[in-house]
Amino acid sequence: MKNIKVPALARVEGEGGLYIGLKNGKAVEIRLDIYEPPRFFEGFLRDRYLQEVPDITARICGICPVAYQMSAVYALENALGVKISPQVRALRRLMYCGEYIESHALHIYMLQAPDLLGKESVLEVAAEAPDVVKTALRLKKIGNELLKAIGGRSVHPVNVCVGGFYSWPDAKAIKALLPDMEWGLNAAIDTVKLALTLPYPDLEIDYEFVALHHTEEYGVIEGDVLSSNGRKLSISEYENSYIEEHVRHSNALHSRTVDNNTYLVGPLARLNLNHEQLMPRAKNSLQEFGIRLPVKNPYKSLIARSIELVHFYEEAIQLIKEYKPSGPAHLELKLKAGEGSGATEAPRGLLYHRYKIDARGMVQFAKITPPTAQNLPRIEADLFKLTPKIVSLPEAEATLIAEHLVRSYDPCISCATHFLKLKIAEK
Amino acid sequence: MKKVAVIGIGQSLRGDDAAGLEAVRRWQEKFPETANRLEVRVEACELPGLALIDLLNDFDAAILVDAVQSAGNPGTIHRLDESDLASFASGSRSAHGWGVAETLHMRNQLTDVEVNIRIIGVEAEQMELGAELSRVVESAIPDLCRVIEEEIHALVQEK
Repeated sequence: MKNIKVPALARVEGEGGLYIGLKNGKAVEIRLDIYEPPRFFEGFLRDRYLQEVPDITARICGICPVAYQMSAVYALENALGVKISPQVRALRRLMYCGEYIESHALHIYMLQAPDLLGKESVLEVAAEAPDVVKTALRLKKIGNELLKAIGGRSVHPVNVCVGGFYSWPDAKAIKALLPDMEWGLNAAIDTVKLALTLPYPDLEIDYEFVALHHTEEYGVIEGDVLSSNGRKLSISEYENSYIEEHVRHSNALHSRTVDNNTYLVGPLARLNLNHEQLMPRAKNSLQEFGIRLPVKNPYKSLIARSIELVHFYEEAIQLIKEYKPSGPAHLELKLKAGEGSGATEAPRGLLYHRYKIDARGMVQFAKITPPTAQNLPRIEADLFKLTPKIVSLPEAEATLIAEHLVRSYDPCISCATHFLKLKIAEK
Repeated sequence: MKKVAVIGIGQSLRGDDAAGLEAVRRWQEKFPETANRLEVRVEACELPGLALIDLLNDFDAAILVDAVQSAGNPGTIHRLDESDLASFASGSRSAHGWGVAETLHMRNQLTDVEVNIRIIGVEAEQMELGAELSRVVESAIPDLCRVIEEEIHALVQEK
């Protein structure tokens, strides 16, 4: 059994291909070819009972299952006219803190920092600096522990339902996480310091930033869809201004605004639009470490993620201290035919869902617009900007810088973009 | 008491990728006496990624059951130990692609705590989204259950 050849373990499927076509040294065609599973999920959800939806959509992704659950429950609650209790809302936010913590720790330390440092992978970092990786794993683990305490397991939580939670998590188990959370908050502030020392390629882009905005808290659930060009919509109006369309080279849809602009969702958009609502220590970190906003360098989304890591540790501590389950954990649903939309901020950006249900609560139509679909045209546009800077470099080096740009977005295609093969062709 | 985990790994909505989860579930049904022993714990992990490192730290030994794609015939059962896994690395540089091989490699770099790990893989035929287990993998499940039972007895005797 020692010599099994060219194998791969399960779930390492799918490839994203990157093609840059050049003419006289200038980029004339850029394509990010991608396979996007969430499209199939929409068909898969039809004729399912609405309470199955959060459990199914969670499986779109192993890293941001909570985001898929939360956008789904809000959309379905809107379809039924259900208003959840403040306690349920607070617990949803706490659960979301767990997801941001584990996802951002993973992205910062395991994905993007090794890229910026020119390492083949985090395994190389682990060999050279095991303590840094141990810190990263502990930061991530605390997020997973929080998800487990609320959702019953650390990946693909099973406690979320339309109307609330199947049961209140044990208050003792939740409070027991506080010492780890305090450690995590300090480690997150150290992460910001570390993030500021990394070497970022020079690239500034004038983005249209789009994120949920809430006047009283850092936008994650509910609020308005805000754009840096001044457009403000309710979530139910999202599809009036943001359009998805097919492009020939991608199985993923591409999003644009009605006035035909590409736009950016994700950590940079959130930080630039919503920094006023950050928790105190996260806000202080911006000042203390001299971070000037708006940040317009896509590679520096790592810095935005590190600030958010501080924010979500801080918010988790506050919500854990305030956690007092009372009243029913979930509302009894009164079924009726209806249609509703919902959006939340997944770690990678705005995630929009819309469902139509019949009088029995069976899904008749589902639409899911993941952050990656919204960012894909933006990634291609960024690559146009980047190409002149890299075109004279050796091919291997140019490939790496382009790959790193794509990976700085952390396109979440259900674990599908593993190898990005760059092909530069002179036409 | 030493603790042993039987861990099914896979994605339940992706065809044969669910084979590990399904095999562990059916082994539990078929061999309840073993599955209910005090030192044995059964876990279902969909896309555990790096969380597998933390999970393993709780046990002295573990049996991981997962779908595998290699050059073999679909339905073939592979019995591996950790040293065999090098040939299964995906070579992935994406943090989304943490497979079992990479995760165990990383674990070895970061900790000296030894866990006796046995891996049972079943060769997948298709991993289409939403599809059920393929017929050939489905028919391998009873053999997989027997292999899980054999492995766990071997582990318990070793201790």
